[in-house]
Amino acid sequence: MNLNIKATAENTYDAIVVGSGISGGWAAKELTEKGLKVLLLERGRNIEHIKDYDTAMKKPWEFQHRGWLTQEQVASHPVQKRDYPYSEFNEKFWVNDLECPYTEVKRFDWYRGFHVGGKSLMWGRQSYRLSDLNFEDNAKDGHGADWPIRYKDIAPWYDYVEKFAGISGQAENFPHFPDGQFLPPMELNCVEKSVKKRVEEHYKKQRIITIGRVANLTKPHNGRGNCQYRNLCSRGCPFGAYFSTQSSTLPAAVATGNLTLRPFSIVTEVIYDKETRKAKGVRVIDAETNDTMEFFSKVLFLNGSTLGTTFLLLNSTSNEHPEGLGNGSGQLGHNLMDHHFRCGASGEVEGFENKYTYGRRANGVYVPRYQNIGSDKRDFLRGFGYQGGGSRGGWHKDVAELAFGGDFKDQMTTPGIWTMGLGGFGETLPYYENRVYIDKSKKDKWGQYVLAIDAEFKDNETKMRKAMMDDAAEMLEAAGVKNIKTYDNGSFPGMAIHEMGTARMGKDPKTSVLDKWNRMHEVQNVYVTDGSCMPSIACQNPSLTFMALTARAADHAVNELKKMNV
Amino acid sequence: MHRREALKNVAILMGGALSATTLSVIFDSCNAPSKDSDKLISADHQALITEMVDVILPKTSSPGAKEAGVGPFVAMMIKDCFPAEAQKVFVDGLNDIDKRAEKAHNKKFVELGTSERNKILSEVRDETVKTMAADKEKAEKEKTSGDNASKKEKEKKSYFFAMLRDLTILGFRTSELGATKAFAYVDIPGRYDGCTDMKPGQKLWV
Repeated sequence: MNLNIKATAENTYDAIVVGSGISGGWAAKELTEKGLKVLLLERGRNIEHIKDYDTAMKKPWEFQHRGWLTQEQVASHPVQKRDYPYSEFNEKFWVNDLECPYTEVKRFDWYRGFHVGGKSLMWGRQSYRLSDLNFEDNAKDGHGADWPIRYKDIAPWYDYVEKFAGISGQAENFPHFPDGQFLPPMELNCVEKSVKKRVEEHYKKQRIITIGRVANLTKPHNGRGNCQYRNLCSRGCPFGAYFSTQSSTLPAAVATGNLTLRPFSIVTEVIYDKETRKAKGVRVIDAETNDTMEFFSKVLFLNGSTLGTTFLLLNSTSNEHPEGLGNGSGQLGHNLMDHHFRCGASGEVEGFENKYTYGRRANGVYVPRYQNIGSDKRDFLRGFGYQGGGSRGGWHKDVAELAFGGDFKDQMTTPGIWTMGLGGFGETLPYYENRVYIDKSKKDKWGQYVLAIDAEFKDNETKMRKAMMDDAAEMLEAAGVKNIKTYDNGSFPGMAIHEMGTARMGKDPKTSVLDKWNRMHEVQNVYVTDGSCMPSIACQNPSLTFMALTARAADHAVNELKKMNV
Repeated sequence: MHRREALKNVAILMGGALSATTLSVIFDSCNAPSKDSDKLISADHQALITEMVDVILPKTSSPGAKEAGVGPFVAMMIKDCFPAEAQKVFVDGLNDIDKRAEKAHNKKFVELGTSERNKILSEVRDETVKTMAADKEKAEKEKTSGDNASKKEKEKKSYFFAMLRDLTILGFRTSELGATKAFAYVDIPGRYDGCTDMKPGQKLWV
């Protein structure tokens, strides 16, 4: 791999990719494999596959605080500490919030990782296709702009990325839940099998439960090892058993000899050329030295994460683009969405006292969306899916509060009751007023203005959350689960780390930022293929769709280059 | 992102192991780390903690918390991971234990026999359960009257015995001796089997 440490006279490439996470890694792979000389810019440090996963092989007792945060970490990470992902186990994968502040007009939990690989190292790996139900929803109910593509446009690209990434799962032939190119599924445990059977019988297969479709390898694939069932994925996998930039796309890009990777490169601006009416390159701050420099290319892929990319575009102003690059529609920064979750139901399962499990499966079950389909009509628009699972912990029913002593110890170290839970992931509508903009009253460590985020969930989401609890309880009840309790632990935008929108695709340049190829309507050599491109978010985990859209856009970009259209 | 880990964490909370209060004390803190943490726990306090964790999780057919090194772990966690208010609650709690031992037996806690130690910790536990229940009820009342400020105060309240017990369980479960001798631990399972038969003496996986 080439490392471009200093900006030199040779700072011109065929393509520049901004960001090295899930979509940026794909852009780099596809463009280099098609013969382009590519500069991949990453604002954070390099993380080398396996070598730099320094906690991956540690045993529980080798962590001084056993995963808990120190008061120092709590003080320097006031946002990252709000939820479980930031812990001693992989603390270096999360940003220091004090170095890169943002403004919360309303609460927004912004989880970020500045390093090569981005969130591909810490992601949840759940991988689901969208369907025509999702691509048509905006047009049908009038919220948001119509998607400029349909399932047939993206289906071959889902096939393409799944075959390379390695997605394990079970084909179900369930409506609006397209099957894919699956590696063998992970196994359900005995409680999940029982609940699945009873739920599917009760609802006559109008609702199904399937094993999660995950980017974890259930057998060796493309030179990568299979999952070892340690459930330590978010520390980086020394077996390369889940899809990440490091395990998958980066080695492929490096193998072409066409890639130059430059870590510590904060892209602050896309440089616009009013003569050609195209972008000619990017302005960069070196995160270590604060030096500024410029790089040039024929085509640009922006993959800096949903809000990172939108910040960059809003920050790239010129006489021709006074409100941000390609923002003639005024839609840039608007229609921010995230899934709402953290509500559902769980209960106790009897009858499996003589059964247990072996291995730590980093996966659960999935219930695809079934609401507002056919005769299932609701008082809210769109719908939700569930993630969940059955497990057997150390809880025994007859333990007194704050119990201690020898009997308690012997009891808590033996398998207790089985529990089964389902937690909803709901679609949020694209609301124009849920938006981000640049806050010029504040600067980050590198002297850059910061983003202000102003977004909230509304009535449709609130109504949906009630159904997310009630339906979960009803399904568990149908499956014979006992002592069912519903819960709503509250959900704020950002928490699901599925932030999307703010630079949407669409058919009409007057109402959208990107065209059907993820190319800016107004700047024809700039492609945006991270989460910011989404006109709606469905309820499925989104990363697989970013991968497919990126590979599709890269193919288009290279064809345009060949035709000399770019 | 990593849902399974989240579920596991919730399961630990639900499992009667850790109380939600102990965790929320850590996360809700917005104070700078205490500067005097190094001097916080004296040698006598350290010895007292070490004896108490072994009352909470004593040696049975498997090693106890003392042998598993949980005593020094609890003290280190109090120093590194808790805000000053919670640290004070904990140190006051330690002093209170010795006062109780002094009053009932004219001795320090560490000089007492097993049944006396058990009796003292049982009393403290019973009082803690009562206090926590009363605080919860009070908070519920304030919640219905819409007093959010005091709700926040309540979330930050620490309870000596709950902290001690939570950290003892955490430290024991994740210690090498605890994980491998009292619980069952396999570093690299290599496969997943979703339906095995329980074996006699089967331990809980960590």
